[in-house]
Amino acid sequence: MLRLRNVSRHIGGIRAVDDVSLDIPPGRITGLIGPNGAGKTTIVNLITGMMPLTAGSIHLGGTDITRAPAHRICRAGLARTFQNMRLMADETVIDNVMIGFHRHDRCALPAALLNLPSARRMTATLRRRAAAMIAEFGMERFAGFPAGGLSYGHQRRVEIMRALASDPAFLLLDEPIAGMNDVEADALAAIFRRLAAEGRGILLIEHDMRFVASLCDHVHVLDGGRLIAGGRPAEVLRDPAVIAAYLGG
Amino acid sequence: MGQWIIAYTPLVDLFLLHLGFAYAQYIVLRAGVFSLATAGLAGIGAYTAGVLAVKLGAHPALGVAAATLAGSGAALVLSLPLARLRGVYQAIATVAFVQIVYSVNLWAEPVTGGAMGLNNIPRTAGTGVLAVAALGTLYLVWAMERTRLGRAFNAIRQDEAMAATLGVDIVRHQALAFALSGAIAGLFGALEAYHAYALDPGQFAFPFLIAILSYVILGGRNSVAGPLIGTAILIILPELARPLAENRMLIYGVMLILVINFLPRGIADSLILAWRARRLARPEPAAGEP
Amino acid sequence: MLAQQLLNGFVVGGVYALFALGFTLVFGIQRVLNLAHGAIFMSGAFIAYYTVAAGGPLWLGLALAVIGSGLISVLVEIVCFRRLRRSGDEEFGGIISSIGASLVIMTIAQRISDTQVLRFPFETFPVIIWRFWGLRVSALQLFMLALALALVVVLGWFIYRTAFGRQVRAVTQNERAAMLMGINPVRIHMQTFFLSGALAGAAGVLVGLAFSSIRYTMGEPFLMYGFVIIILGGLGSIPGALLASFLFGMGQTMLTAYMPSAISGLNEAFIFAALFLLLLFRPHGLMGREAAGALRGRR
Repeated sequence: MLRLRNVSRHIGGIRAVDDVSLDIPPGRITGLIGPNGAGKTTIVNLITGMMPLTAGSIHLGGTDITRAPAHRICRAGLARTFQNMRLMADETVIDNVMIGFHRHDRCALPAALLNLPSARRMTATLRRRAAAMIAEFGMERFAGFPAGGLSYGHQRRVEIMRALASDPAFLLLDEPIAGMNDVEADALAAIFRRLAAEGRGILLIEHDMRFVASLCDHVHVLDGGRLIAGGRPAEVLRDPAVIAAYLGG
Repeated sequence: MGQWIIAYTPLVDLFLLHLGFAYAQYIVLRAGVFSLATAGLAGIGAYTAGVLAVKLGAHPALGVAAATLAGSGAALVLSLPLARLRGVYQAIATVAFVQIVYSVNLWAEPVTGGAMGLNNIPRTAGTGVLAVAALGTLYLVWAMERTRLGRAFNAIRQDEAMAATLGVDIVRHQALAFALSGAIAGLFGALEAYHAYALDPGQFAFPFLIAILSYVILGGRNSVAGPLIGTAILIILPELARPLAENRMLIYGVMLILVINFLPRGIADSLILAWRARRLARPEPAAGEP
Repeated sequence: MLAQQLLNGFVVGGVYALFALGFTLVFGIQRVLNLAHGAIFMSGAFIAYYTVAAGGPLWLGLALAVIGSGLISVLVEIVCFRRLRRSGDEEFGGIISSIGASLVIMTIAQRISDTQVLRFPFETFPVIIWRFWGLRVSALQLFMLALALALVVVLGWFIYRTAFGRQVRAVTQNERAAMLMGINPVRIHMQTFFLSGALAGAAGVLVGLAFSSIRYTMGEPFLMYGFVIIILGGLGSIPGALLASFLFGMGQTMLTAYMPSAISGLNEAFIFAALFLLLLFRPHGLMGREAAGALRGRR
């Protein structure tokens, strides 16, 4: 369970995130929706250690990750994608995915410095695993391409592969289908369902209500930094407060 | 042939020494640290070796080892505060470091010879030794690139936040890059001392810093071939014609402006990217289309 | 004695202020350090010297230096920064590019002066010394202080009281928003660089007069002290740089006057070690609002 308790983030006088408590269970897809500027991405940044909390706590399983640095949080089993994709544009798809394996990229320092056989084996293993994952996502054709030259949808997939490479227990997806067409989005939805079935907990941040409703068991609604509703998608979408936030927001 | 070698030995030696310094600078930039400390680290190495040789009559091997350790130790200590700073601030802090090393060298006259410098250092490093050191450095940099270290450095340099969320410990990797840079700078500083008979503090001040930086900027700072190409061009260029030698600093200045504006990746990196783009030559609708 | 040192330090601080205000102004608006600022400062001293050497009066030399250094600074902006600003790589690229410009300007000055140290002819500025309350004040010192303060006031008026200043501050805060408001950032950048260079040029003339040694390398120590000052004041902060200039001028004078001679050779080392500590513990300086040097998240 990924557990947020009374999490707040105040910037100057603005309460970007205000007293948010949220449970993200394993094996499920949890939705987080809300109008622009509601603080959705800020929550992801807070969870992944990219900015400090003003108040509150975050626990991953039994570990307190409230103040842990970002790389520790990753090693504790948490991965994310970025809303504004952050790929290494000049590097190939396979190299981009390989950096995602960093958590498993282990070899002794002298071996790494001198590229001794153990380090070479490690590189070869990771390259194979990256290639396998790229094939699984149907992108073999692009493995040797610079990531920056790919279409939007393909870049999003590379980001998801990179996040998955660390084999996270929890995955935070920040608008993963933005800029995709329906066919691409459906393909991703199938992948997300499979990841959840494998036991991973997913937090899905989306604008697209239909997409969220079709995937999530539970949806939380954020407005002005506060949670205003939560429950089954169908109920939440009928909630007058939610409708007001969307229409008014 | 024999005469050719004799005539060009000083140039080859200069090239090999500066190649080492260029890689020391390259490694930190590669790991996303905007450090200009290489000059100071080289100075520490050179003076460690020089003082050991002149004042204590130590064996050159001991001097080289001590200089390498001193360089990496100083770099490691320096990396702690630098980890808390960003871009411009790192640059300023490291320039300050270079100035501190310079002022201390000037002041500590009984040990370092002050403004007069150190003289009568036994000359023990010939072309062979320099070549071995340069090749060793080249191998290290080339090898490292292909392992987890190179992959992590790449990620850090391009996007720190992204690298951290992928589990890369930025502080540790940058400290490692720094220590390596210091070790290489210290080593070649020592070789400089054992090669040149004499040292003076001004040698490792601002002009040195600029020369080393220029090699890496011109050659390219993301591929192993970069510093090699940059150093070769800037060392050989002044030898081609007298006016080029007389206007060395002017040429460096113009070159820095032109390269950073029009070929910001440097020669090697630009060639590699162009080559890769040609090889792919865009099959089908693949790239670009939504 | 102490009062005398403080007075001397205050005068030097005024010159530092002229140098540092332009330095920090450019950082504030561009988020970039112009490392050619020291060379531009030096060019002011050169222009004034050669004007006087050719028989011109000092006031003309000063005026030409202010205008000339301003124009050189604009040239640096066009050649070194404009393209990089468009490509978005100004932080790293700008430093490299302006180091390049610095080398070019310094080499030209070296050529012109044949690597010699130049001196204004004796009595270019009348040597008059007043004494009161046990203090010695020269006319030159008063002139330096008066000019520095006058230019600082003019700068302050420009930045805080004119349309130009409002535009500068708008661009400083958010270039894109400023463009939407119809401000032409290219013009603002050029004007800022001109102001910055003109102030540095004036500082160059004053230093040339006071220390009577004009050399193509004279900008280097000022660039280093400039770092200390603008960091102490908070990068980009004009009042901060002003305060820091006087503090630094007086502190440095005291250091020189009272440091035991055995370690006075380490004064420079102390200054830069202090800069190092400052960067570590108070990277936003005395008056900087943003912690631009601060931590990257909570790594």
